[in-house]
Amino acid sequence: MLHAGQIWLVAAIEQHSPVATLMRTHWAWPIAESLHFLGLCLLVGAIGSFDLRLLGVARRVPIAAVHRLIPWGILGFAINASTGLLFLLTEPDQYIYNPSFHFKLLALGIAGANAGLFYLSSFRQVFGPAAELDAPRRAKVIALVSLCAWMTVIVCGRMLTFYRPGPCVGQSGVLLTCDPK
Amino acid sequence: MSIDPFLVWLESTALSEWVVGSPSMLAFPGILALHAIGMGLAAGLAAVLDLRILGVARGVPLVEFRRFQPVLWGGFWLNAVSGVLLLVGYPTKALTNPVFYLKLLLIAVAMVLFVRIDRLIRSGDATAPATARSLRRLAITSLVCWSGAITAGRLLAYTYHRLRA
Repeated sequence: MLHAGQIWLVAAIEQHSPVATLMRTHWAWPIAESLHFLGLCLLVGAIGSFDLRLLGVARRVPIAAVHRLIPWGILGFAINASTGLLFLLTEPDQYIYNPSFHFKLLALGIAGANAGLFYLSSFRQVFGPAAELDAPRRAKVIALVSLCAWMTVIVCGRMLTFYRPGPCVGQSGVLLTCDPK
Repeated sequence: MSIDPFLVWLESTALSEWVVGSPSMLAFPGILALHAIGMGLAAGLAAVLDLRILGVARGVPLVEFRRFQPVLWGGFWLNAVSGVLLLVGYPTKALTNPVFYLKLLLIAVAMVLFVRIDRLIRSGDATAPATARSLRRLAITSLVCWSGAITAGRLLAYTYHRLRA
């Protein structure tokens, strides 16, 4: 069923992609890639600093003060989600059948759920009036998971080229990792 | 004098052949992945310091940003080493492309700016009007250099003339 879903998605994008023509012009793809890398740096710099602070680096600085960097991390993420979507909408088969892309999405999901968990579970201890300079243990675990998840996102993104899907020969598994066409 | 004999020799070394030819995901793909992580750490933390100088997260004293510096330097050295390995793998591709020299130049300038920013921060009163002005100018230049270095790096894949000697 998932296989059929992947095939349908690739076909749907290939038929209706609003950006493929633009992205196939001479410099569009390289420019989008450069922006994707700039967004990566912004995201890692801002979110990484905050995670490191939770883990105990620059302990004298209130956590809430370092949290002011987070909107810049979100900006980096927004740049990368947009440029990433441009790639996906131009060459859907290169991503939807790519095992490295599947792992990248999984790591992104973990990073997102982990961030959600942080705001649900640790908000008061970390930002409230009685906030202490040392983050609670739970927040430290969340920070460590965040760092690992984002590093995995980067590694999987960089590995996409090396796991390009080839033609299918008797493939099985939860998700298609080859091109059925 | 041509550097071709040198390139031919370098491409024939065991290290170069391993980087390019090994089927292991730890060879070329792994080195590229480390290079991307080092970029995120070095350029990302430098950019965050620049943003702080330009007024973001004012509640964080500039001096305290020095605590993150070992990570920035870690990213820098990770990329120096992984970068040299990538260069040994494809020396002709890089050394015959002017964009590669532009990238190196921009990184060198960015790191010099970082050291100068750090020296100003350590020197004491970063809030004195003259110092604050210098810091802002350095921070803006730093952001331009890092953006340029990253863009140049990405464009290396599209601007080379010769792949191998």
